[in-house]
Amino acid sequence: MRARLLGVAVGLALADSSIVTLALPDVLGQFDVAITSVAWVLTSFNLVLAVVAVPAAYVSRRRPRESFALGVVVFAAASLACGLAPSFDVLVGARCVQAVGAALIVTAALDLLAQLEGSDERALRIWVAAGVLGAALGPAAGGILTQLLGWESIFLAQVPLALVLLLAVRGVTGRAARTPAGRPSIPANAALLLVAGGLVAALFLVVLLLVDGWGMSPAAAGLVVTVMPLVAIAVSRLRPAGLGPVQGIACGVVLLAGGLTALALMPRAGWGWTIAPQVLVGAGLGLTVAGLTEYALRDRPDQVVHGGWTIAARHAGVVLGLVLLAPVLTTALDENRDEAIRAGAAVVLDSEIPPLDKLGVAQDVLAEVDRANEIGELPDVERALEERPEDDGWRALRDGLQEQLDRAVTSAFSGPFLLAAALTLCALLPVGLMRRPVA
Amino acid sequence: MRRVAPLLVSLGLVAAVVVPYLALGGGRFEPTPVADPCEARVRPDAEGLAETLEAIALAGVDGVACELGVSREELVLALRSEEALDEFSDEQGLDREELEQAITDGLVRAVDDADERGSLPGFVAPLVRRAAESVPPWLILETLERLGGLLPG
Repeated sequence: MRARLLGVAVGLALADSSIVTLALPDVLGQFDVAITSVAWVLTSFNLVLAVVAVPAAYVSRRRPRESFALGVVVFAAASLACGLAPSFDVLVGARCVQAVGAALIVTAALDLLAQLEGSDERALRIWVAAGVLGAALGPAAGGILTQLLGWESIFLAQVPLALVLLLAVRGVTGRAARTPAGRPSIPANAALLLVAGGLVAALFLVVLLLVDGWGMSPAAAGLVVTVMPLVAIAVSRLRPAGLGPVQGIACGVVLLAGGLTALALMPRAGWGWTIAPQVLVGAGLGLTVAGLTEYALRDRPDQVVHGGWTIAARHAGVVLGLVLLAPVLTTALDENRDEAIRAGAAVVLDSEIPPLDKLGVAQDVLAEVDRANEIGELPDVERALEERPEDDGWRALRDGLQEQLDRAVTSAFSGPFLLAAALTLCALLPVGLMRRPVA
Repeated sequence: MRRVAPLLVSLGLVAAVVVPYLALGGGRFEPTPVADPCEARVRPDAEGLAETLEAIALAGVDGVACELGVSREELVLALRSEEALDEFSDEQGLDREELEQAITDGLVRAVDDADERGSLPGFVAPLVRRAAESVPPWLILETLERLGGLLPG
């Protein structure tokens, strides 16, 4: 039970790296802040987590139980501050503090899990799986909460949940580390950084495409993206016995990059087209993140510190991915918006609606484009034509406009997915340096 | 061979998704490129005056767009307001007066062509021609459309 609670704690702490993805438009709507700045709600958490993970691990290895409890309290207090933040600056500041709490929770949990499970190997498996699940389900969970209760609920809901997790350390003493931690595995952590950078596209952009791009509800999108963590866990459990550790990681990198490439090449809009790429990404995720983390930690004198290094590498990778992919997506959306407006104008001009209505429709569509652009959302065709008739000509116009919007949005995501695939493939370089046989 | 076999299997799995996606149009699912305004369009026969005036307006816009080297859609979007026309002339580096004249000439040409083909009732052609010559360009499409609604067709 306590091991499960620790797993939930790791999942909860790491879910925060992606949980606000779908809440960003709402955050933008509440605070007077530029569209380009709003991503700091995401980036700040990952950046601070990357920076403090190793120092937090050094603290956690000495006093794991106290570090975990302190981490939970800091995380809960910061979550409360995020939920009640009166300004954008306070929100970002509280996110930074939240990341410090998360770093203590995640690193201390590894030690506590090992003690509870009586095996470093089992503890590591739970720790990695919980982290993968948390990061993969974060965007959808955040989207559902935002839809139902507002973006603040993402943070407020975490407060009682985090405090309950304190039960996990009742009666556990922890094992204060005595041995020097040793040097981190450079190739494994470098590969983790690159893979995590690529995974930003799979974990953040897929759900963004489903909800903001194709208009799915966050709950439905959440269901769709569970394919990735489910496949990841299945693959890490059913992994062929003959597959060597480095071989498995290399295969995972290829599958992950392939899945991202397939996401860039979707021939139509629709969640069904994401499933096969998600299966590839999930398989890659299961083989790479678990494999690289195990490689970085196995046979190391101090798991907690090396676990801290892997967290630092992963979240530095997330920051790298956000920094690289966000501008590419924004630029592509801007470019495609102009193309889509022209294509939409052609649809209106060539449509079979009454000629007298065409200019009015064009104006309504452009007004909707401007409205959506101002609040950082994608235009809603139904909203633009909401008071128009329902006959065949108008239905064909709606379908035609939606088709052009889908084309514009889907193709705008292609560049970031391809870039993420290239970033992921770069991980093969450090993987190639991982020659040390691992038992 | 045993060392690379898992990698080959992984590549095979990737190909099993990527190749069908490419075959089904992956990588080409982007906004439909707008048609070249210099190439003749196939249009259904216009029924009634409103549709005839719409066809004339579109043919006129096609002609002007072809002359200016822009798309019909860009020009139509520029004709939605005076500000949009200002922005368009700046973007294209065109002199505003010359642009307005080109639009007027193009529309008058389209009216003359329609008149020669006998597509317009006798009393309507001069009225439409007059509108094309005198109404500011950013109001011309709306004016032609309204005319189609007002006149008996």
